[in-house]
Amino acid sequence: MQLDGKIPAGPLRDKWDNYRFKAKLVNPANKRKYKLIVVGSGLAGGAAAATLAELGYDVECFCIQDSPRRAHSIAAQGGINAAKNYPNDGDSIWRLFYDTIKGGDFRAREANVYRLAQVSNNIIDQCAAQGVPFAREYGGMLSNRSFGGAQVSRTFYARGQTGQQLLLGAYSALSRQIGAGKVKMHTRRELVDIVLVGDRARGIIARNLVTGEMERFAADAVILATGGYGTVFYLSTNADSCNVGAAFKAYKRGALFANPCFTQIHPTCIPQGGDYQAKLTLMSESLRNDGRIWVPKDPSDTRAPRDIPESDRSYYLEEKYPSFGNLVPRDVASRNAKEQCDAGLGVGPTGYAVYLDFADAIKRDGRDVIARKYGNLFDMYHNISDDDPYETPMMIYPASHYTMGGLWVDYELQTTIPGLFALGEANFSDHGANRLGASALMQGLADGYFVIPYTIGPFLADQGVSEVGVEHQAFADAAAEAAENDRKLLAIEGRRTVRDLHRALGKVMVDEVGMARNEAGLKKAIGAIQALREEFWQNVKVGGEQGNFNLALQKAGRLADYLEFAEVMALDALTRDESCGCHLREEHQTEEHEAQRNDEDFCHVAMWEYTGFGSAPEFHKEPLVFENVELSQRSYK
Amino acid sequence: MKWLTTTLGSSIGKKLLMAVTGLSFIGFLAGHLAGNLTIYGGADAFNGYAEHLHALGPFLAVAEFGLLGLFVIHVLVGLVLFWQNFKARPVRYAVNRSPGGKTIGSASMPYTGILILLFILFHLSNFSRFFVDQSGTTIYQIVSQAFQSPVYVGLYVLAMLVVGLHVSHGFWSLFQTIGLNHPKYMPAITVVGLVVSVVFALGFGFLPIYIAFIA
Amino acid sequence: MSTDTINITLKVWRQKNAADKGRFETIPVSGVDSHMSFLEMLDTVNEKLILEGKDPIAFDNDCREGICGTCGCVVDGIPHGPNKAMTLCQLHMRKFDEGDVIAVEPWRSRAFKVLKDLMVDRGAFDRIIQSGGYVSVNTGSAPDANALPIPMAVAEKAMDAAACIGCGACVAACPNASAMLFVSAKVSQLALLPQGRPEAAERALKMVATMDREGFGNCSNHRSCEAACPKEISIVNIARLNREFFKAGVLSEPI
Repeated sequence: MQLDGKIPAGPLRDKWDNYRFKAKLVNPANKRKYKLIVVGSGLAGGAAAATLAELGYDVECFCIQDSPRRAHSIAAQGGINAAKNYPNDGDSIWRLFYDTIKGGDFRAREANVYRLAQVSNNIIDQCAAQGVPFAREYGGMLSNRSFGGAQVSRTFYARGQTGQQLLLGAYSALSRQIGAGKVKMHTRRELVDIVLVGDRARGIIARNLVTGEMERFAADAVILATGGYGTVFYLSTNADSCNVGAAFKAYKRGALFANPCFTQIHPTCIPQGGDYQAKLTLMSESLRNDGRIWVPKDPSDTRAPRDIPESDRSYYLEEKYPSFGNLVPRDVASRNAKEQCDAGLGVGPTGYAVYLDFADAIKRDGRDVIARKYGNLFDMYHNISDDDPYETPMMIYPASHYTMGGLWVDYELQTTIPGLFALGEANFSDHGANRLGASALMQGLADGYFVIPYTIGPFLADQGVSEVGVEHQAFADAAAEAAENDRKLLAIEGRRTVRDLHRALGKVMVDEVGMARNEAGLKKAIGAIQALREEFWQNVKVGGEQGNFNLALQKAGRLADYLEFAEVMALDALTRDESCGCHLREEHQTEEHEAQRNDEDFCHVAMWEYTGFGSAPEFHKEPLVFENVELSQRSYK
Repeated sequence: MKWLTTTLGSSIGKKLLMAVTGLSFIGFLAGHLAGNLTIYGGADAFNGYAEHLHALGPFLAVAEFGLLGLFVIHVLVGLVLFWQNFKARPVRYAVNRSPGGKTIGSASMPYTGILILLFILFHLSNFSRFFVDQSGTTIYQIVSQAFQSPVYVGLYVLAMLVVGLHVSHGFWSLFQTIGLNHPKYMPAITVVGLVVSVVFALGFGFLPIYIAFIA
Repeated sequence: MSTDTINITLKVWRQKNAADKGRFETIPVSGVDSHMSFLEMLDTVNEKLILEGKDPIAFDNDCREGICGTCGCVVDGIPHGPNKAMTLCQLHMRKFDEGDVIAVEPWRSRAFKVLKDLMVDRGAFDRIIQSGGYVSVNTGSAPDANALPIPMAVAEKAMDAAACIGCGACVAACPNASAMLFVSAKVSQLALLPQGRPEAAERALKMVATMDREGFGNCSNHRSCEAACPKEISIVNIARLNREFFKAGVLSEPI
């Protein structure tokens, strides 16, 4: 397969400018003749739909929730990075670029990441103009904080609800276009297939979740902004409706899936309570700015945390990483927590938790200051766990949170299917093997507001207005296939529910394809996934009926996708026989238990091509070329 | 003038009408109460007050018609709101519990309003010069005659409690509706509202008792 | 964390679709772990219903951490259940006692049609925002974010209002099914910030007009909305909306 990343020529700093200058434009009068489908209404999708409509395109936007305002971007707490350098502490576009590339352990494209850093500043301007109530200083200027291992304060925030406020900003821009009749919004719709005519994406089949009907939509281009696949682990910080479905359907129709094994495990989540649990709740990692992480030195120590004297505590992050301490990157923090618990030092009823202690911060700054910073998080924790973090340390444990892997896209964010674009978490492009804190919001909005509006033009200008409508046989075929799939699922009438099987898949993924992986475990996982897939298609009990709201049926379809996708993930993890970023292969560690990269053999994007149900996908790679940064061993000592 | 009908016809506009007319009734009641207090000065004082009022002649008529106008607005708009609010929830809850906020006063506004309307008609039929022939007698005589009946006394006292209840929500609520809710002043407004409703209930409510049993 | 289990009885609203009349169904639920969230309890009930070949209870939910605003039912007469300042997904079974009979109903409002069981259509909220709940600024045309200083107190007040999650509990709680708290939160956020001032008048007029058209009731200042709001949005915002609306209605000149 011929892969062209379409990286523009010229020095790194000029690539985006060069691209924009050379890009073919669509005549303003012609824009309304182009119909664009945007699937997803989160930061990437909402921003894209609004901006493309502002430019004059005819946009139809789809979301799985009952309102575009509820996309899972809303749950991001901490903040959004930008290279504004307002605090005058040495930040720059170059530094944000470098931190992001290095944070991703040199497994992302230089050109994409540099562009991301370049447009980061425009995002803050745009959001402030929309009325996003960012935190401010007394003088009225925007407030910044240091976040997730960055040594400059470049994170903008709106209390602990930055994602919510940014999403509501994008939602307001989208709403304005819906009100003006420029965007047609379809809520409670789930993409069930992408329709290709020839080799080009021409539309989608969407399930109307309320009526169960399969609806057909044709367009000149389809943009997927459907988020990540964190729920493959069953328990994750993701929302109930998050799923890999749209990206997986694209994969099945021929789009390559890049780096599926790059998943981020967030270090500060509330530990699991029982089997009934439906999700893990994330608490912003800004908590690590003031909280100190520790475990008892003695595994048999059963004293209440407050009764354990300093001398019997192990502040393992501060001891191991003196310069970063509790602010090491997410993967390092997560892995170390797992290490401590695996060594028997974990606390709490399951032994899979570590303490996050605010006693010193409260002593230093006073309860009021801490309450102002983290009050809502403390309340949330108190409610869920029934423990008061002002009085006793929190217990935390890592949970799946974000997926860096995604559909492979070129510099224009186009997948390997012409006319099919992927934005935000759904693509693989900017975070490499690990995402820095407060960078997901940045990437989603960058793709939506400032990249796709430019990069979709050349494709449309080249292709001209599509003549293919929903009457085309390909739409009827795809819709029939989707309905048939539903019928098949309902007819199995087995004995295990979708949730039950999903929980079983999640266990395999957490144990073997989670924070630390090894060859034997991954091979075991692949076998287990295949067995589960087989059981699913013979023994699942879906319930309910077609042609009505049927959550179990929706979820059965999503799990069916995961049971195929999980294998690709494990295979990718097995094939990437090195450690990098969040992907830790236990066979490849430095003496300090850091990820040991193998740049000679694995400095590439791994991509997988679908070859049919149950058959192994085909491997491709895009070599990564670093012309501007030197590949260094990450060290947070 | 479309802007006026649009503004006043909207949900908030209708509430404004209720608030402004309500405020003027509070003013009226304050004046009425002040006048009625002359009863404590004896028959002459009270009759003198009535004569003063009548001496206003056309001004009194203007005031009365003005009051009637405000009253009609308050009642009609109130009924419209009541009907709209009723229709806004076609299927009611099987279990009704308040999450807080709601008071007896606020919950009973439409009902106390209707009771007050009935009372006012009753009150006018008892004492107003439009309904009662006042020649050859004094207002004091009419009033003290009426309150010889314990039923009347009871009705009046009850009615005044209803008025107090209505005002207990109406007073602070009208400030909220007009937009005058400020964290600095609202606590004071709430207290004043409660004081005013108690003063109205006691001030008016004690008069029949005074006349019947003390004077 | 001790594990306690309780036995409860659900009296839950069942309605096949929007056209169906609906009725209450009584479902006994035994062995409920008190550390479960309310929605996890419903999950386990649904698992059982599916295995018994019955239709599971449809209820909206998504993030399960109280920020997306998707979930919400009236539990024992109170929207989002008995906890103050919390969404339904954050309600835990430890709030209930052995033998409790728990009534679960959907939001009730003419403007929120019941789609199935506990799921309602809150599209009216979206249409209200579409009619003016935004700042008309196209992507790319924004000045530097620090070009317009905003006093911290103002930004904080705007943030208080912006915390609204659009769940609809205010409407569900209001004896009149009024949407004033929701509308006032958005109007306030944008009226407080200088970025929102240029369109403040038009925004207030249009959003109120849409709100009225959607069939919500009128505000009677009961304050039930404020009491039920999981984000504790204050009715001070309603007063601000009223001010903005009158100012706009009386002073603004037709364009």
